[in-house]
Amino acid sequence: MNDYQIAWNLMKKVFPILDDSFTFGQATDDGSLLKNEFYQCVESSKTLNSGRIVQDLLVSKIEQRLRNEMVPEFWSYFKRSENDNKGFKQFYNAVKSLYDCFKQLDHVITKLDMFKQATQLGDLIYNENNTHDALKLILKATLLSQLNLEYQVVVMNFYETALKMEDTEEDDGQCIICLQESKHCNCLHLFQETNRKLGDMSLLEPLVGQTLTNLIYTYIHAHIQKICKDSFDSSFIVILEKWLQTVVINWLRKIYCYDTSSSNNEVVVGMFDKKLTNYLYNCYTKIRIDQLFNIIIEYPESLPALEDLRLCLPRTELKPLLTKKLQKAMETRLLHPGVSTPDVLTAYVAAIRSLRILDPTGLLLETVTQPVHQYLRSREDTVRCVVSSLTEEGPNDLAEELIRGEIVQVDENTPVDEDGENWETWVPDPIDTSPSKSSAYRRTSDIISMLVNVYGSKELFVNEYRTLLADRLLTQYSCDTEKEIRYLELLKLRFGDSQLHYCEVMLKDIADSKRINQHIKQDPEYSESDIPMSAMIVSAQFWPPFKEEKLELHARLVTQMEGYTSAFETLKGSRTLCWKNHLGVVDLEIELADRTLNLSVSPVQATIMMHFQDKNVWELQELSKLMQCPPTVLRRKIGFWQSHGILVETKPDVFCIQEDLENKDNNIQEDIFVEDYESESAMASAQDQREEELQTFWSYIVGMLMNLDTLPLERIHQMLKMFAFQGPTIECNLQELKVFLDRKVREHQLIYSNGYYKLPK
Amino acid sequence: MAQNVNPFYAEQAGSTKQNDESRKSSNDSHAVTKRLHKELMTLMMTQDKSISAFPDGENLFRWIGTIMGPKDTVYETLKFKLSFQFPNSYPYTAPVVKFVTPCFHPNVDTSGNICLDILKDKWSALYDVRTILLSIQALLGEPNVDSPLNALAAEKWQKQEEYRKHVLDTYREA
Repeated sequence: MNDYQIAWNLMKKVFPILDDSFTFGQATDDGSLLKNEFYQCVESSKTLNSGRIVQDLLVSKIEQRLRNEMVPEFWSYFKRSENDNKGFKQFYNAVKSLYDCFKQLDHVITKLDMFKQATQLGDLIYNENNTHDALKLILKATLLSQLNLEYQVVVMNFYETALKMEDTEEDDGQCIICLQESKHCNCLHLFQETNRKLGDMSLLEPLVGQTLTNLIYTYIHAHIQKICKDSFDSSFIVILEKWLQTVVINWLRKIYCYDTSSSNNEVVVGMFDKKLTNYLYNCYTKIRIDQLFNIIIEYPESLPALEDLRLCLPRTELKPLLTKKLQKAMETRLLHPGVSTPDVLTAYVAAIRSLRILDPTGLLLETVTQPVHQYLRSREDTVRCVVSSLTEEGPNDLAEELIRGEIVQVDENTPVDEDGENWETWVPDPIDTSPSKSSAYRRTSDIISMLVNVYGSKELFVNEYRTLLADRLLTQYSCDTEKEIRYLELLKLRFGDSQLHYCEVMLKDIADSKRINQHIKQDPEYSESDIPMSAMIVSAQFWPPFKEEKLELHARLVTQMEGYTSAFETLKGSRTLCWKNHLGVVDLEIELADRTLNLSVSPVQATIMMHFQDKNVWELQELSKLMQCPPTVLRRKIGFWQSHGILVETKPDVFCIQEDLENKDNNIQEDIFVEDYESESAMASAQDQREEELQTFWSYIVGMLMNLDTLPLERIHQMLKMFAFQGPTIECNLQELKVFLDRKVREHQLIYSNGYYKLPK
Repeated sequence: MAQNVNPFYAEQAGSTKQNDESRKSSNDSHAVTKRLHKELMTLMMTQDKSISAFPDGENLFRWIGTIMGPKDTVYETLKFKLSFQFPNSYPYTAPVVKFVTPCFHPNVDTSGNICLDILKDKWSALYDVRTILLSIQALLGEPNVDSPLNALAAEKWQKQEEYRKHVLDTYREA
């Protein structure tokens, strides 16, 4: 036996791992027992100068063992299991077995350390100063090289269960892992033990870290979802931060701070804290952004949620997302034909108000509401809705705004004084502001001016208001104009005197009519026969055009009206009255054989009754001729009386008065369409008016083309602007003109070629 | 406030006030413009399709007029263009009216000048573009052969067949 053989045998005794047949747990390694051998071994390797070889051999053996036995065994625990709670045990057992192996290897390493000191071997293992760290490195490398695909599921399972345990809310006195009562349960202990073992092996972060982070993210997300769902009326930021600290961070501390002596773990937890707080904010903001549309709709109840969002935004860089998402939400939920215009307007006003909280500079508002503007412009009834809600009674955003905000619109051209008092709170405009618009302009413009700006012209609004006012004045027939005057004054503050001059005259007309009526009634020349009447005298110049309808009143009324006219003529020299027969209200008292009815009806209906007063039976044609009213229209009007059971159609197109209602059941035709005359506007509709205006343009265009032969679109528009746009309302942009002309081309009234329009021969 | 003042015009008058101070003479010109605008509007609104006129370009003082030849005359189916030049003193002075389309007619010379009493000594401020157009249209069918500008035409007037030939030869659509 040579020296090498002896040395090798010695070595095998000291380091049993070198023997391939050796298995762990078998030999009871007693350091003291082998002390002799150890020193012999040191001596021999010194003489043979084989320290380096021994170390390399040992490392290689350790690696081999790990690769072939321990790591495969560890990973073999990670089999997918159906039972949730089994995952907990699985992971615990896996870690336990790995840790046992690790301890034994660590023992070998300790001995190697001693050996190295004794032989004064300076060579490092894998460049690690500490041989124990080298072992950890080897372990980690081997583990990761054989990574099991399902391990994350198990790890996730393990920590999820543990986290659930932590969530005391669902505590029902029973451990969810072992299903034992809490006091007998050892699971928490097992959990901490596992963490400690992993920590000892420096495997906590590499093996668990990512999964843990994912788990906590999901947990946070779910928690926020749960508490913030559909509740906008309280602020959650503080609550959530507190929750994060007390529940999540504390739990993490339990995992990472298994060893109170090490300060390193506090650093890890600190990093987690930062990361998670950031995530919390991000997550909360995203959830709120998703809900933003609902939050806006519920303004002002949702104010706390908005405040939260305002606090979150600077911390999260999510503003672009907010803009995008909100725009999208607006488009899908608001800007489609299924939503009525008042609803769009309500949402729009709420958006203006709430976005102003989020972003006082108004930039966000501008971007987000741009599509709403465009959409509102395309809706025909927008102006009408705005104007009517402006002047409506009762709780109404816009009306309040009108009364409250008596800020006179700031003229864009005059520079606004930067008020010196607020200089401390001044903030610069956001970087994405367009420099063309002054920030002061955005900040000062109030809701009403924003709505008006949707159309870009006050005229449209004022005109619509005029029409509505006219309608109200004419349908109510009341001379109580106090309220209207108040609104008019408020509107004047915004739109200026000149714009609303027409309306002023209209209101004055009403007051004047009252006076004139009284005057005429006192006139001895004018005798009020059995039909008392008063007139509403309006100045045609200032009122919007009325809807025209032909109607020949009953002769008795006509005489009466002539009397009134002549009385008026004497009162106001050189002026006369031009009656609008179809407008007005008539109070009727109808006495029939068995009943009396009191009704307020339209002149047409009254005229019908008066004719039936003369004659009980009328043919439709006959009556239609007398009243100068088309039979179809007349039939509809008669329907009103049929529904009241006063007239019946005895034969087709023959109507007869029904004096008594004996056989009531048969005769009242419930299904007859009753016209609600009040809902009808006395004014010509905007569309009718527009059509009329366009007709005027058309005569000009024909005149133009007849004399100048061919003209391009721009030229026609220019000429119209110069010669035809005269009235206060008439206006027609290039686009509209093009549409109009194209229509005429389709109707073959115009020829279009090479960019020029001309008349057909 | 008087109700019969249209604020639109009132406002317009107000806005032109400053201009008036700078050049007082434009007062008249404003009245002329107003009158021409009004004439244009009445002209555009008439249903008579045989006469028409429209400003030629941006200048309201230069118009182009169109008349159709009157029925049952040799001019029937022909379309004649005329040019109008309004003086600043309009309507107290008659506009200068000329044929743009060549017209063979006893009272129209080869450069388009028209001999018509209401455009000369018989002019009155009550006349307007519409009445001028109607008068010229009437003149086509009933020429004044006694004081001709175009002697040939006056001579041929009696022989309608030859006259028609001349008319058609001269006529060139614009």
